Amino acid sequence: MIEYRGLVKRFGDRTVLKGLNLRISEGEIVFVLGTSGTGKSVLLKNTVGLLRPDEGEIWIDGREVSRLSEEEYLGVRRICGMVFQHPALFDSLSVYENVAFGLRRHDRLPEELIRQKVAEALALVHLPGVEERRPAQLSYGMQKRVSLARTLALEPKILLFDEPTTALDPITTTAVNNLIQELSRRLRTTSIVVSHDMICALGIADRIVVLDQGNIVAQGTPREIRGSEVPLVQDFLAEVPA
Amino acid sequence: MKSLRWKETLQQLFFVANGSGFIVVFCVCFAAMVTILEASFHMKMVIQNDSMVPGFAALLILKELGAVVTALLLTSRVGAGIAAEVGLMKVTEQIDALRMLGIEPVRYLVLPRLVACVIGAVLLTLIANMVCLICAMLVSDLMLGYSPAMFLSSMRIFVKFQDLLLAAVKGAFFGAVIPLVACHFGFRCRPGAEGVGSATTQSVVVASILIIVLDFVLSYTFSYL
Repeated sequence: MIEYRGLVKRFGDRTVLKGLNLRISEGEIVFVLGTSGTGKSVLLKNTVGLLRPDEGEIWIDGREVSRLSEEEYLGVRRICGMVFQHPALFDSLSVYENVAFGLRRHDRLPEELIRQKVAEALALVHLPGVEERRPAQLSYGMQKRVSLARTLALEPKILLFDEPTTALDPITTTAVNNLIQELSRRLRTTSIVVSHDMICALGIADRIVVLDQGNIVAQGTPREIRGSEVPLVQDFLAEVPA
Repeated sequence: MKSLRWKETLQQLFFVANGSGFIVVFCVCFAAMVTILEASFHMKMVIQNDSMVPGFAALLILKELGAVVTALLLTSRVGAGIAAEVGLMKVTEQIDALRMLGIEPVRYLVLPRLVACVIGAVLLTLIANMVCLICAMLVSDLMLGYSPAMFLSSMRIFVKFQDLLLAAVKGAFFGAVIPLVACHFGFRCRPGAEGVGSATTQSVVVASILIIVLDFVLSYTFSYL
């Protein structure tokens, strides 16, 4: 479903992704782990064309997308939903308007149907009844969930999460992680989750990919990762209670 | 015109014109008073006669003061606000979110601000000029002994309709420079509070310099070409 072939991304003289190869199947939940600055977020942003690779190819649903124009990329972004590291909600709009934003732009649906889809998306993230509030009136965790609702309202086939639990308290972290698993299973989406959280990855992921210095240093099922002898993986596993 | 977001444009126009109106009027009043008093003082000192001061001051106000002071005040208030707002949107990934939702961020964010600033700057420049002239007239009446009738008659000798047109044209150009420079630095904002602060500062500095350079170019073009 998604395949990266020899992906290279440079920022000036710094090469962040160094010929990365990765194939992700339909319906799979893949966690991408790694220390800060190893290119995890860059990988996600390349997938949806927010950044463009310097070399290599990105295949989505059998189509090479990395050389598409900004206009042509709209179709790819329509099937890919991305939840950013920040909630990235539009401050001047209410929660309802934020969630309805993409529906109005992409699908041009009648207002009644938009209202119904917004209510469904907010119910999916367990946030009914906040439609009229402004983002500033919500807690950070609630803002993250509204951001997820905005993405889910478009019913994407692929969900990309960029550190969805950063800066959240442990209870909200668990709630968001459960939500990722529940939604991926229920909506049968393919999910790529960029994270530092090995505990969560071991509990939710179908496959874990560990990045270091722009290369994949380990990948496998949670069971395989638990048995990995790669030093970086060992460092991550050291945080996991036995 | 179909792609212009009218509601957002009107909100921005309200922010530019209404929000800045008092500050602009307040500041240009004092600028006008200083201009006419200084002109009178130096003319008396050099040629022992300040009878040309009302007309000269009116010309200076219309050609330079009203437009430039207004634009510099708008740069520090509106330009800084736009740079900080767009910069924060960049840092908090709202601009990426717009692109993900199928919106072209430049058109979505820049166009309403550009239209609002051009209209707002022209309106404020014309208002500032009127206020400046009234202030100058009052000062020349109360402190220099030239009645409003004398002021207006002197002004009629010096000032032409083209001067008012030049003021409006300058207002439009300055009004365009402010949001374009602010959005440019906002879109290139580096992460963090320091990045937003730096984008805001750079935006104000560059826009102020461009306004002063553009003022010379427009004045030269209108006067000599």
